[in-house]
Amino acid sequence: MKDRIIKTILILIGVLFTFLMLILPLAIVLFYALREGVVMFFSAITEPFAVAALNLTLLSTGITLVVNTVFGMFAAWTITKYRFRGKQVLTALIDIPFSISTVIAGLAFIAVFGRIGWANPITEALNIRIVFAVPGVVLTAIFVTFPFVSRELIPMMQAQGNEEEEAAALMGAKGFYIFRKITLPKMKWGLLYGVILTTARAMGEFGAAAVVSGRLRGRTNTLPLHIEMLFNEFQLTAAFAVSSILVMISVIILILRHVVEHRMKQEEG
Amino acid sequence: MYVELKNINKQFGDFQASRHVSFTIERGQLIGLLGPSGSGKTTILRMIAGLETPDSGDIFIDGVRVNDIPAAKRGIGFVFQSYALFRYMSVFDNIAFGLKVQKKEQAFIQARVTELIKLIGLEGMEKRRPHQLSGGQRQRVAFARALAPNPHLLLLDEPFAAIDAKVRKELRAWLRETITKVGITSIFVTHDQEEAVEVADEIIITHQGQIEQKGTPIDIYRNPKTPFAAKFVGESTEISAYHQLPGFEQVDGFDRAVIRPEFVRMTKVAKEIYPHASGRGVIEDIFFRGNALEVRVDLSGEKITAYQQLDDDAFEVGEEVSVLIHRLYLSNEQEVRMVENLAINHVGSVFI
Ligand SMILES: Nc1ncnc2c1ncn2[C@@H]1O[C@H](COP(=O)(O)OP(=O)(O)OP(=O)(O)O)[C@@H](O)[C@H]1O
Ligand SMILES: [Mg+2]
Repeated sequence: MKDRIIKTILILIGVLFTFLMLILPLAIVLFYALREGVVMFFSAITEPFAVAALNLTLLSTGITLVVNTVFGMFAAWTITKYRFRGKQVLTALIDIPFSISTVIAGLAFIAVFGRIGWANPITEALNIRIVFAVPGVVLTAIFVTFPFVSRELIPMMQAQGNEEEEAAALMGAKGFYIFRKITLPKMKWGLLYGVILTTARAMGEFGAAAVVSGRLRGRTNTLPLHIEMLFNEFQLTAAFAVSSILVMISVIILILRHVVEHRMKQEEG
Repeated sequence: MYVELKNINKQFGDFQASRHVSFTIERGQLIGLLGPSGSGKTTILRMIAGLETPDSGDIFIDGVRVNDIPAAKRGIGFVFQSYALFRYMSVFDNIAFGLKVQKKEQAFIQARVTELIKLIGLEGMEKRRPHQLSGGQRQRVAFARALAPNPHLLLLDEPFAAIDAKVRKELRAWLRETITKVGITSIFVTHDQEEAVEVADEIIITHQGQIEQKGTPIDIYRNPKTPFAAKFVGESTEISAYHQLPGFEQVDGFDRAVIRPEFVRMTKVAKEIYPHASGRGVIEDIFFRGNALEVRVDLSGEKITAYQQLDDDAFEVGEEVSVLIHRLYLSNEQEVRMVENLAINHVGSVFI
């Protein structure tokens, strides 16, 4: 009896907390977004600067995904398959973006590629602009989401071991064939999960982008940066309308994430 | 001589996993690699397969030195301890894998896989995934997968370890039969001596990375060449004060002895036959072992294990009995010697 009361109270607290801290704010975003009517909403999200910001965010997320998926698979493969000196150090280094404030990451990029940076002469000679330009935005997004895929894959691949690959190799299969037929299917769900986390994180990236992009409207402004600008200019309805795009994408990602998690559990069981 | 290992050494970091390993195997034989956990059995198997490279020494298969031939080209079938079935492939695709790699014709693959599925008795389960099979069925699929490309040599790492006792017995007999039928030279690893004795033509005993002895099961059983082999094969009790046992005397250079249950006979005190050769012991424990009783008896301080047939005299815990030990293996660090109870012959010659 007492147990049941405690259980009910704990569940209630959990539900209440989730509602107050997570669901209510999101609902309010949608409410404010539509407060001045559907017409205002659509004009806010089809306004050229908003569209440009959305496009830039999608572009940088897309590139980040490709780069970090390839890198993450490569890193996980190297770390789980080979024994070598400094493996622990490499594993720890990969995690750096997790423990550094994104603003600092942004500053680091300025220090390297900015006017005062040591890499500036090189990029200037090659006629590439990184800081205050699109490449900088993309690079910071890559940096910030660097560890997600490999972090997801490494423990999974360690648990699965190498024997299936060895068995295939003993029967004469070649490296890439083994990768395609054995390894890739094995890490499929973990990979997808890492990709989803990367997407979510890359789309929402704010701190580093704020520093590196220079916030040039229509050129280097990402969606989160654009939202904050609108907000600072007291264009509340527009800010919430654009926010609602990110919210919807997040909800989709959330659902995908749960589907993948569910499938992962099923395959293991 | 089909497989030959010559003075193989292998080190992992500063741990020596194989020391001076040398042995030969004849074509068509089924060999059991028997030894305690960590004695280097898997390491030997993996070096033969080419999954691990020896630090020194040579490996010959069918007269060819294979040290520099990659695993893929050695034509060896390998059954892993945990089977390592391809979890995202069906039973059929698992077995067909090696044939597809060899780019065999579709019709040939179909026929060969069907034949193997029949051999392992899994007809109708071709489409299942490994996780939808029982342990024994998985083991059979792993076996068929290794056999499919027609290897010259089959290596099996603890093929029955993950299977429960009853199925294991059936599977053992099945494997023995099937390997004989297919006629492939095979080496299997086990740490279960009963399994080795039952299945293998010859046994190789490993201990701390070394080969202790190689021979037929009965030979190793009757003539253990090393103290470890004497202790490891068969149930055994090691004692040090063997000269205090009735009928045995101290032999120079041997400081301990191994007693096997088969060397011990217990009778009611009233029915004692060889008084000079026997001692008095007290029954400490009796275990029912299905087809016999295992009896722990205390013989002036030494705990000795013996078997008692079910239709023999029944004993009770605490009862004093006559214990006759008619044979011992004496040993030291290096060698083993078998000695008989002196008092039995002695008594016989005097009174009869
Ligand atoms: N890749 C490796 N790295 C380091 N040590 C290893 C490696 N492989 C094996 N060893 C060590 O070598 C020793 C022998 O291992 P091996 O796997 O050959 O034993 P085993 O006889 O097969 O034992 P088990 O019956 O437990 O399978 C063990 O002590 C093990 O820790
Ligand atoms: Mg092993």
